[in-house]
Amino acid sequence: MLDKFFNPQNVAIIGATPREGKVGRVILENFKKRYKGKIYPVNPKYEEVLGLKCYKSVKDIPEEVDLVIIVVPAPIVPKVLEDAGEKGVKVAIIISGGFRETGTEEGEKLEKQVIEISKKYGIRVIGPNCLGIYDNWSGVDTFFLPDEKMMRPRKGYISFISQSGAFASALLDWMALKGIGVSRAVSYGNKIDVDDIDLIEYFGEDDKTKLIIMYLEGLKPGRGRLFIEKAKKVVQQKPIIIYKAGKTARGSVAAASHTAALAGNYELYKAAIKQAGLIEAESFDEIMDLSKILLSQPLMKGDRVYVVTDAGGVGVMLTDALTMQGFTLPRTPDDLKKELREILPPHCIVENPIDLTGDADDKRYIDVLEKLLPRNDVDAVVVVALPQIPGLKGELFDYMVEAKTKYSKPMIVIMIGSHEAEKYGKFLEEKGIPVFESPERAARALKALYAYSLIRGVVSKKQE
Amino acid sequence: MNVKTIIENAIKEGRRKLLEHEAFEVIRAYGIPAPETGLAKTPEEAAELADKIGYPVVLKIVSPDISHKSDVGGVILNVNSKEEAVEAFNKIQENVKTKAPGARIVGILVQKMAPKGLEVIIGGLRDNIFGPVVMFGIGGIFVEVLRDVSFRIAPLSEEDAIEMMKEIKASKLLEGYRGQPPVDKKSLAKIILGVARLLEENPEMESIDLNPVMAYPDKAIVVDARVILRLK
Repeated sequence: MLDKFFNPQNVAIIGATPREGKVGRVILENFKKRYKGKIYPVNPKYEEVLGLKCYKSVKDIPEEVDLVIIVVPAPIVPKVLEDAGEKGVKVAIIISGGFRETGTEEGEKLEKQVIEISKKYGIRVIGPNCLGIYDNWSGVDTFFLPDEKMMRPRKGYISFISQSGAFASALLDWMALKGIGVSRAVSYGNKIDVDDIDLIEYFGEDDKTKLIIMYLEGLKPGRGRLFIEKAKKVVQQKPIIIYKAGKTARGSVAAASHTAALAGNYELYKAAIKQAGLIEAESFDEIMDLSKILLSQPLMKGDRVYVVTDAGGVGVMLTDALTMQGFTLPRTPDDLKKELREILPPHCIVENPIDLTGDADDKRYIDVLEKLLPRNDVDAVVVVALPQIPGLKGELFDYMVEAKTKYSKPMIVIMIGSHEAEKYGKFLEEKGIPVFESPERAARALKALYAYSLIRGVVSKKQE
Repeated sequence: MNVKTIIENAIKEGRRKLLEHEAFEVIRAYGIPAPETGLAKTPEEAAELADKIGYPVVLKIVSPDISHKSDVGGVILNVNSKEEAVEAFNKIQENVKTKAPGARIVGILVQKMAPKGLEVIIGGLRDNIFGPVVMFGIGGIFVEVLRDVSFRIAPLSEEDAIEMMKEIKASKLLEGYRGQPPVDKKSLAKIILGVARLLEENPEMESIDLNPVMAYPDKAIVVDARVILRLK
């Protein structure tokens, strides 16, 4: 059912208009650019809009309509939704605002009407008061922001669900700039019908989605338990990263008991996040850091992390950061020590973190990684490659791309610097090797990968 | 009386809070260990109950109008004989009459005094979004000042309950410190699960505070129970 929202055969845009700057025009323009199905503008004022035949009512459209997009003013929404119902339409995105979110009696009343009509005809609704859907595969794009204001990201496998429309569009724009691939994005506004549960279920089964990001302010009343239940299943297929906004305590509830006084809204969400097996991002930076590692890296079979660095200082910083995340860096086992001693100059440090020092070159890194990556007692490798040293010319990074396929072992990079760092960083990220600018962010991301590996049950018992 | 009747009676009488002996009866019905108690209406009954229960005992006022019993002198600890029980009964009545005049007195609870253990708090409430949730914390400053508590959404498993205990920052105290043996986490888990079940099976219940629960190396016992109902 939800599939019709994302892959409709045709769409009717109710409230399409030729007037510059209007939402009804931007949406129509965007559909014309990327959507391959048939588009029906609906507006009683026009015979034709942007070269397309315009219909007075959705009921006049000569074939069955899959998806209607409603952008008319709130007071007219019930009427056009009723029309759509009579026409037999089963899914609708209501972009228009002016409902419950206004806090007015009128808004409440209109929203109730819309709910009743949608139930009467069995129409699934996204919205109202939302940006709707951006689908990179089908071209459904109701984000009423023109291309020159919001870049569209390239096709990819991250889908996201956002309770904030503005956040969704900013994220899309930013991901476009960073070259991060997006599959589908949904802003559901007042979520009178389709909500987080429906969407994670849909994305859970969607083969174009490999990772789900959620920006959540709050679930609908009474939906918490089902959300946990469904999410638990989805995360066995693909990770869900959640950013919970609105972390401050709910002041309004008169606390009749001790427990109630301590049960802040966020405390309960934290419990739910843990029970459902979601990965929580604590900041905007983290949303992206966690996404890139979870999307590109294989799961960890244990928590034994090895560090290879050309900078002793960063090695120490990283050791601290990893330890603070609960990792213990294992001591280099004797057999490996011996092997490393044979290939490394005497001034290098073979104890983990393995320090190749400032005169390291590509070959030195490659030799060490060739020893580390095949080992069963190495669960992840962090390569600190500060590109300021003369010996790093890029060969290492080519090697890492090959090694990623060859050994399928989690491998991330820390690179700090200017042009060189940016150039190599971009190269690696395009090839699916995440690069971080700070040891702390890298450690936090690795921790998320480990947490997700535990959720997926791939960490061996002994290691857990 | 069974749980449903206790709840119905309270609602009929317009009481949001169960009386303490009712609360104990309700939690006992769900396998949550509470000290032996009895409700005395006269000093003589108190003395008899005390003798039967075994010393030391605690006497507590039971009144729908008093929620902070200690503040009105409604609690006397460490009662060690029949004579002391009579004395304590009269003293409490006197205290309440002066400090909370007009408060209805249902009786005075005689309760076996639990020996000192590690005081923990186990609670539960019905949340608008998540439904029944449970809470765990260690009593005193850990909860009061540091808000060091953990939550889970019901339903939960024994494993979840154990994990809740490990999750609080002061969890090391449960493992024993300064030569103390570790407390019995399985018994605590049983209480947590009992609270979850109470809320799940009794939709009229809004929240439960078991505070404190005394935790020992081989068991745990609820010393004070507060059950709040939701009135229509």
